[in-house]
Amino acid sequence: MLRGFYTATNGMLTQQRRQEVLSNNMTNAQTPGYKQDQTALRAFPELLMQRVENRDIPTSQGTKVPTMTEIGAINSGVYVQETIPDFVQGGLRQTDIATDMALAQGETPDDTGSIFFTVQNGDGDVRYTRNGNFTVDGEGNLTTNEGFYVLDNEGNPINTDNMSFTVTPEGFVQTDNGEVALDISYSANANDLVKNGQDLFELGEDAEALVDARGVAGLQFNVLQNQLENSNVDTGQTMTDMMQAYRSFEANQKIIQQYDRSLDKAVNEIARLG
Amino acid sequence: MTRMTIQAAVTMGQLQNRLDNIGNNIANANTAGFKGRDANFSSLLSQQINTEPDPTNPVGRLTPEGLRIGSGAKLGHTNVNFEQGSMEVTDRNLDVALLGDDQLFQVAVEENGVAETRYTRAGNFYLSPQEDNQVMLVTSDGNPVLGAGGEPIVLMNNMDDLKIEENGAINVTRNGVQNVEGQLEIVQAVRPRLLEAAGNNLFRLSEESLDNYPLAEIVNNVGQADVRLKSGALETSNIDLAKQTTDMIETQRAYQFNAKTISMHDQMQGLINQLR
Repeated sequence: MLRGFYTATNGMLTQQRRQEVLSNNMTNAQTPGYKQDQTALRAFPELLMQRVENRDIPTSQGTKVPTMTEIGAINSGVYVQETIPDFVQGGLRQTDIATDMALAQGETPDDTGSIFFTVQNGDGDVRYTRNGNFTVDGEGNLTTNEGFYVLDNEGNPINTDNMSFTVTPEGFVQTDNGEVALDISYSANANDLVKNGQDLFELGEDAEALVDARGVAGLQFNVLQNQLENSNVDTGQTMTDMMQAYRSFEANQKIIQQYDRSLDKAVNEIARLG
Repeated sequence: MTRMTIQAAVTMGQLQNRLDNIGNNIANANTAGFKGRDANFSSLLSQQINTEPDPTNPVGRLTPEGLRIGSGAKLGHTNVNFEQGSMEVTDRNLDVALLGDDQLFQVAVEENGVAETRYTRAGNFYLSPQEDNQVMLVTSDGNPVLGAGGEPIVLMNNMDDLKIEENGAINVTRNGVQNVEGQLEIVQAVRPRLLEAAGNNLFRLSEESLDNYPLAEIVNNVGQADVRLKSGALETSNIDLAKQTTDMIETQRAYQFNAKTISMHDQMQGLINQLR
């Protein structure tokens, strides 16, 4: 079988997967605090090609010795290696609602560093989010719009009692009952975080635990009340990428058709008599 | 492969809901005391796909193993925005506007034989004739407005003048003599997000909230000293038309983008069909 047949098929499958990631970014273009995924494509491991030959040995019997000559390396396909969230800061949008908060990230000590709100999911596990579209539940606790508790720096839910509270730029929630510090977590390598759905990030296996952002030297951040962080999806860029992925998909399809024509010739014409 | 269409189709349904919500906000841009709703999105589940052909060779990877692809977005909530609307002076004696944040008038409503207390910010009241030459203070729908002790405010007719004071006292002048004959009972919503819209510009508390939380934790009576009213004025709707229109355009465009995703997916399926 022709090797390139499968290479081109891989190309189509990869572009499909890329489209899935891009279309998911597009659907989340209005999700506050959403971080778009980027796809990293990778070639299949290299294979070494060899040419099989016979070499005449100048003897009276005319003996032939099989030899192999190396031609070079070939890649036989491509695949999506990973989807990497892009932690670039999204734009800020004024909403004038006291329970909306946005994290504005300034300089970080690490290139891949990022800060998050700390929340507790339904199973009681700690998760991280950039979506500050919060609300106050029936018990007066600050929750995400999924109902997950937003945690303070001691790991407890924050009771604001009502909706008239103030959040300082340093992330302190001031209520009638006093002041509570929002738990702002800092990850030195945000790529270790795994998307969980519902705008949550989970710490990957063997990853370095997040630390309290207030104790990190050289980290600048602000918590802005009455504002939301927009999704960092650029719809124009995403549409362009989708069109490009589409054409690439089409090009691979054309190559498969060409291979099909070659095979057609091999099957129907080579052995034709007369 | 259908993941692409599912993502787009699910999100289009949710975008449609957001448009519905914006449509309702705009429709009520002139409703006195109306509180708009905000709708924001939240991402749906993320699916982990283990694709690495050789897990022992994760060269150059930045993220933990596997691929994670989301499955679209949904509306996270449609929360009522209790921001104060602006004041419109009407000089009508029975129009009052609440100046305090999250404060509400109480209204007795009987629906399908069940009587319950509902809440509203709309202060355009009327006097409805009752038996024995009496009048009752009612909302524009004819439901009694509650006064002291949670009772409807019933006054004798034949008054020369009626004025609602800043503290909610109803001051009636008869034959040149002023007398306080009633008192509006105002409540403060401690947990405004538990109030659900009941239609007719009223809010109610669901049975679920009332079962789970004591009433006093959800709404509190406001003492007469803390009541601040402006009579002869109405609180207008807190809808900002410019913002709603912007949201509408934004949502409509997002809808188009997702429709484009579906047609692109369709064309890709077409290419697969044309392989042979």
